[in-house]
Order: sequence, then C-alpha cells, then structure tokens
Amino acid sequence: MANASAKPPAWLGLFDAARGLLVWAGGLAVLFGAWQAVLSFGLMPPELLPPIGDVLATAADLASRPDFQRHVGVTVAEVMVAFVIAVPLGIVLGIAIAESRYWSEVLKPIVFLVFSIPKTIFLPMFILAFGINFAQKVGFGVFSTIFIVLISAFSALDSVKSDHVRVARAYGATPAQIAWRVYLPSMAPVLLEAVRLAMIFNLTGILLAEMYASRAGLGQLIANWGENFMLRELLAGILLIAAAAIVFNETVRWFEAKCEHWRT
Amino acid sequence: MAIASPQKSMSANGGPSAKSPLRVVASAPGAVQVDNLDHTYNVGGRVTKALEQIKLDIAPGRFVVIVGPSGCGKSSLLMMMTGLVTPTAGSVYCGGLPMTAPDPDRVGVVFQEASLYPWLTAQDNVEFPLSLRGVPKAERAARARDKLALVGLKGFEDRYPHELSGGMKQRVSIARGLVQNPPILMLDEPFAALDEQTRISMGDELLRIWEQTGKTVVFVTHSLTEAAYLADEIIVMSARPGRIIDRIDVDLPRPRTYAMMSTPRFAELRERIWNQIKTQAGS
Amino acid sequence: MTLAVSTPAPRRLYVEPRTLRWILGLILLALWELLPRAGFIPSLFLPPLTETVGALLANAGDYVRHLLISLRAIGISMLFACGLGIGVGLLAGSIAPLRRVMLPLASGLYAVPLVILYPLFTAWFGIGPESKIAFASIYGLLPCFLGTMAGVQTIDRQYLVVARSMRATRWQMISRVLLPAAIPTVLSSLRVGGALVIVGVVVAEMLTSAEGIGYLITRYRTMLDSPRVFAGILVVVALVFAFDGLVRLIEYRTRNWRLSMRSGEPRN
Repeated sequence: MANASAKPPAWLGLFDAARGLLVWAGGLAVLFGAWQAVLSFGLMPPELLPPIGDVLATAADLASRPDFQRHVGVTVAEVMVAFVIAVPLGIVLGIAIAESRYWSEVLKPIVFLVFSIPKTIFLPMFILAFGINFAQKVGFGVFSTIFIVLISAFSALDSVKSDHVRVARAYGATPAQIAWRVYLPSMAPVLLEAVRLAMIFNLTGILLAEMYASRAGLGQLIANWGENFMLRELLAGILLIAAAAIVFNETVRWFEAKCEHWRT
Repeated sequence: MAIASPQKSMSANGGPSAKSPLRVVASAPGAVQVDNLDHTYNVGGRVTKALEQIKLDIAPGRFVVIVGPSGCGKSSLLMMMTGLVTPTAGSVYCGGLPMTAPDPDRVGVVFQEASLYPWLTAQDNVEFPLSLRGVPKAERAARARDKLALVGLKGFEDRYPHELSGGMKQRVSIARGLVQNPPILMLDEPFAALDEQTRISMGDELLRIWEQTGKTVVFVTHSLTEAAYLADEIIVMSARPGRIIDRIDVDLPRPRTYAMMSTPRFAELRERIWNQIKTQAGS
Repeated sequence: MTLAVSTPAPRRLYVEPRTLRWILGLILLALWELLPRAGFIPSLFLPPLTETVGALLANAGDYVRHLLISLRAIGISMLFACGLGIGVGLLAGSIAPLRRVMLPLASGLYAVPLVILYPLFTAWFGIGPESKIAFASIYGLLPCFLGTMAGVQTIDRQYLVVARSMRATRWQMISRVLLPAAIPTVLSSLRVGGALVIVGVVVAEMLTSAEGIGYLITRYRTMLDSPRVFAGILVVVALVFAFDGLVRLIEYRTRNWRLSMRSGEPRN
C-alpha cells in the first residue's frame, strides 16, 4: 500500500535559487550598509573610504579601459597556463602516489606538511630563477596550486569504494574499464571540487606574485593603487576581482551539485 | 476494562476511550495506554500517513514487543510513546497521565544506537540524567554503580565508550534508562546493531533485568525471533501506514530458554507473525 | 580443485615509510649542500646549506628579534581568527536558520583571493602591526568559521535526542552535550586557523611591512643576499614545523577523547 513518495514540485528548485540570490543580496546590503554607515558617521574620511557610488562608477570605468583590460588579460593568461599545467600534473601524480600503499604512507605526510608552509617565502627563489616575468609567475602559480590538487586527488581516490571495484572485477571488467566506468564517476565529484579549490589557490598565488614583484597584471595594479593611496581604484579593483572570483566559484559549485547525488 | 494483572491478556480493542485522564486501573504507575493515535507527515507539500488508529493498553509489569516490517512506523510510535514526538492526533498515557514531553521519571528510553557520550565514562554516562537534575555527586555515583552492577558491568565503571563492545555499550544505555527508577522502560531496536550471538545473550540479560525489577517493558524490533522469545504479548504492525494487524499472546513458559526456540509452539508463533508481515512486505 | 601453493617471494628490502621520509629529508639536505658547491646550481639561486646556516647563526639576534615580532602578530591574529571563527561557527552551526544564511555567504567569500585586501589595510592602518593583524585575522577567520560550522553538523544528532529524552533544558543541551561533542571540531579548526594565520602574517610582512621575519626575507632579497634570504626561509619553515608539532602534541593528549568520537563505530 505504501507508494513511493511523489516528486517534489518543480517550483521548489526555483524557490531555492531565488532564496540563494536573496541571501547574496542580503549580504551585499549589509556590506554597503556598513560602508555607508562608516561614511555617514564620519568614522573614516572619504579619502580613505570613498563613497559607494564613486567606487562603482570607477569600477565601470576601469572595466571599459583598454589598459586595464590588458592587465586583466595578463593575469588571466598566467592563471590559465598555471592551471593547465598544475591540475593534470597534480591529478596524475596524486593518483599515482595514492594508488601505492607504500608511497602513500611515505609521501602523503610530506605533501601535507609542505602544504602548510606559506608558499610566499619561496617567491624570492622564483624571482632569482626566472627573473620578474610571465614564466616566474606561472611557475609560482603552479607551485601554489599543485599541492591542493595532490591532496584532492588523494581524497578522490579514497572515495572510490573498494566494493564497487570488486563488483566490477567479479564481472570481468578490464583495468581500463574499471578506470573509466568505476573510478572516474566515483572520483568525479571530488575532482570537480579539486578544480574549484585549485582555481582559488592558483588565483591567490598569481595575484600574490604580481603584488610582490611584477611589471603587469591585476595584482601589480592593486599594489600600485594601494601605495599611491588611489582608494577609489583600489576598492573598485577589489570589488571587481571579488565579484569575478565569486561568480566563477558559484558556477562550478552549481555544477558540482549536479554530481552530488552519488557522492560517497 | 483491562485489569492491572500481569497474567491477564489484553482485550482486543484496547482500553477505555479518550478524554479523561482518570482511569481507575490504568492509572497504575506502570500502565501504558495509546488512544486512537494517528500521525501524518507533511514534507514540502507531500502528506504521508505514517500511523493509523493505534490503540494499546498495556498493564504494568508486562513485556510487550512491537514488531513490523521496516518503515512501518514502529520506531516513530515508540518516540511518541516516550514523549519525544507529538502525534498529530490521539494521545499517550503513562501511569494514567498524558505523555506530552519526555519524563525520565516515568519512562526510561533506550535507543538503537547506544548514543553514549564519548567524553564520559560509563559511570558518568549513567549518572548523566541525574546530574541534569542536580542530584548530589555521592548519591548519583551510588545509584549509577548500582545500576551498572544490575546490568552486569561491575568493574567497568571507568571505561570510556570506545573501550566497550557493542553489547556492553547497550548495557550502559539500559543502566542509564533505569537510573531514575521509572516504572516503564521503552527500547527501540536496541540490539539491531549487534551480532547474533550478542543479541541472544543481551535478550537473556534484558529478561533477567525485567524479572528482577518488574518494570513494564515496551520493546520494538523487526526480528520475529526476538519478538517470540522475549514477549508476553506481541503487537504486529502493518507496513505504512502503520496499523495494528494482530495481537498475539505468548504462552511460552518463563523463564525462557534457548531450547524453546526449537519447539513447535515457537515455530507456530513465528509463522503467525511472518504470515501477517509478508503479505505487507510486498506492497 | 587444486589449491595453489605460492612460493615465498624473494625477500626485498623493505624500508619503513617513516625511515624513508627521514632518508629522503637527509638526501635533500645533502643535495642542498653539494649541488651549489659543485656548481650545478648557481649560488645566487641556492646557496649551500652550510652557508645558509652560517648566515642564520651570524645574525641570530636579528632573526630572533624579528621572529618574536612576527610571533606576537601571529598570536594576536590567532585570538581573533580562531576566537571569532570558532565562536560564531559554533553558534551558526547549531542554529539552522543562521547557518542557512551564513553558509552560502561564507563559502562564496572563500573564493575571493583575500590578499588583495592587504593594500587596503596598509592604506588605512599604515605599515605597522595593525594592518598585518587585521589581514591575518581575516585570512584565518573564514576557514576556521567554515570548518567549525561544518564540524557542528557532524555531531551525532542522537546525542541531543538522548538529552531531550532526559528532559535536559536548552542550556544543559548546549553546555553539557553540544560543547563537549564539538571539541574535536574546535581542535581541527584551531589547526587550520593557526596555519593560515601564520601564512597571513608572513605574506603581509613580505609585501609591505617594516618588521617581522617576512620583511627580513624581502629586505635581503632586494640586497641579493641569498644566504640570508634562505636563512629566513629556514626560520619560517621551522616555525611551521613547530606549530605542527604543537598541534600533534595536543592531538596526542586528547586522543582518548577523540577516539570515541567516531560515532557509530561498533567495537565488536
């Protein structure tokens, strides 16, 4: 007599999305509200905290300027190249290490330990090795990213249930089939998250390298504006970068949620 | 009207009707009544009927087992009988008074997962309900040790849960349920997570404790064997929406022994329960 | 059916993982010494180990002084980051509506490269310790908060049901059940928060600062004094190791507690 529960109504999904947007709108409201309050109560002079309107106008202006766009291009290029190198390398290496019981035990603690060392301190090394240029920043980006990819790969491999593999083998699957039909789908959610985290670490690393020593790129602009007390541009830059990062992140997360239902 | 005597079997329809909390017999401390209980869930616009017209009248000192297929709502029913969940319709009375909220002085609860607090020793865990009431340390400790001895764990008072086996953890859980000396003990599939051998020995333990303390016991399980072995009376429930489809008096002599499990009478009981349940299991 | 009898495999040299790690470490140190000396790596890029250690010892006073400055900043930032992060995390984790609002916001903000905030702080607070502390606190706050909030979710809900069956009051449920159950989560959040605060302080010092170990590294880089740069790097690495060791010690001391925390593990 018990029947399977009916599917929840379609408008529920829209409702969730609307609620998500509402939360973000709320967050923005709080931010701008506090911003305005600080100005109105005179807690900070407008030289240090320009009015919201000014900053937004500057942001719009910046986005349209070709020299700004050139810097953006430089940063994006560095991020992309570093990403394309670090992620596949990290995944392959991570799986290779995690596959072997012995090497897992030897190398995993090292990876975790190095991960917790502030990579910034190695920036001088990269500068000494490459000079101050594109390659140096990409190199540092790869260095910043590869550890989180390794760690995520470890976790991805762990998430494959040995039971699933055993079933496949019992039905005569070849190693290639097992890799493609069991491992890959099992690891997909974690690897997707790895991509997302990799991007975060990558962007942070590259911007950091640009802020530290660079001739071009968003990070260099930010550092420059800060040094010269160009607060309007600085805040505009921060807002633009933050918005881009959040949008990218949320998009990947939405995608992850699609794969979520079989995540172990 | 049911008379509060352990030997008398229950009437087919259950006890007196709903509203007055003053009932001559049923107000004895260990008595349990469930009156016309219904329960429906409402989740995201979907309405599901979980329990339908449950009526129970349990005399003090009886060992009653509720058995049914998975998802039939027997655990939910128990949660309502302990006061942790409020049914959408109908009421529960323990000792003649309504159960609208948990009351460890009237009803002790033992859950399927022992759910002992891992940061407390066995003794501290048993003392926990008393410490919530501000009972002084010396008295708490004495009562806790007493109950731990009752469940056969003398000497294990200072062990942490991770140092105890599954069966031992459940025993601590039972001791905790007994520490306030409630007249009624309710257990929700307490042995489901244990292996078969431990289940059998724990069943014997529980019967021993019951015989020693004379509490009313309401025991929920999905195991036909456990039901037939432990109970004075078996309540069989249907699949969702859960209804009572059979009430069986178990006339096996006490104390129950493992050998009884191979008697024809035992097999008859199990078959009777199984026949009821299997017609439900497919739907 | 024949039973296959396996011949014992020839004994291969088996090195304990731990030992191998030590061996790898020693090899690394040996290479550090030999490769620059032999000329395979320019000394500007990687000075020999002995030179680095020599530079460290020669300027020990300087390094210690700046290290202490950094430690002070780290300590204060940790108080903010972990204190706020864990406190608000516990609160938000246990109150569902609050969590539903703060979780998406916090995880969204996690994507933002927070380094870009540092120039803002230096513009506002100058290049003294205030901007460092503000930055490092925020840097460590977010992961600490997220970790705690997630950790509260892992607390077995059954603990609360059991407490409710004993008629515990709301306050008793928080203080006698939720808080003790949350301790493993709090410890792991402290670890994450602490590590990130260290990163935050060092990054800030390397970017724009007047003192601190990061500042020292940058200063020597601009002077192209490689041995001193690497001495500074060694100091930071030692700091991280020390923090890690401290955390491990705490974990060791609380292992009894945390062992039983893995809920639902039957011990048959």
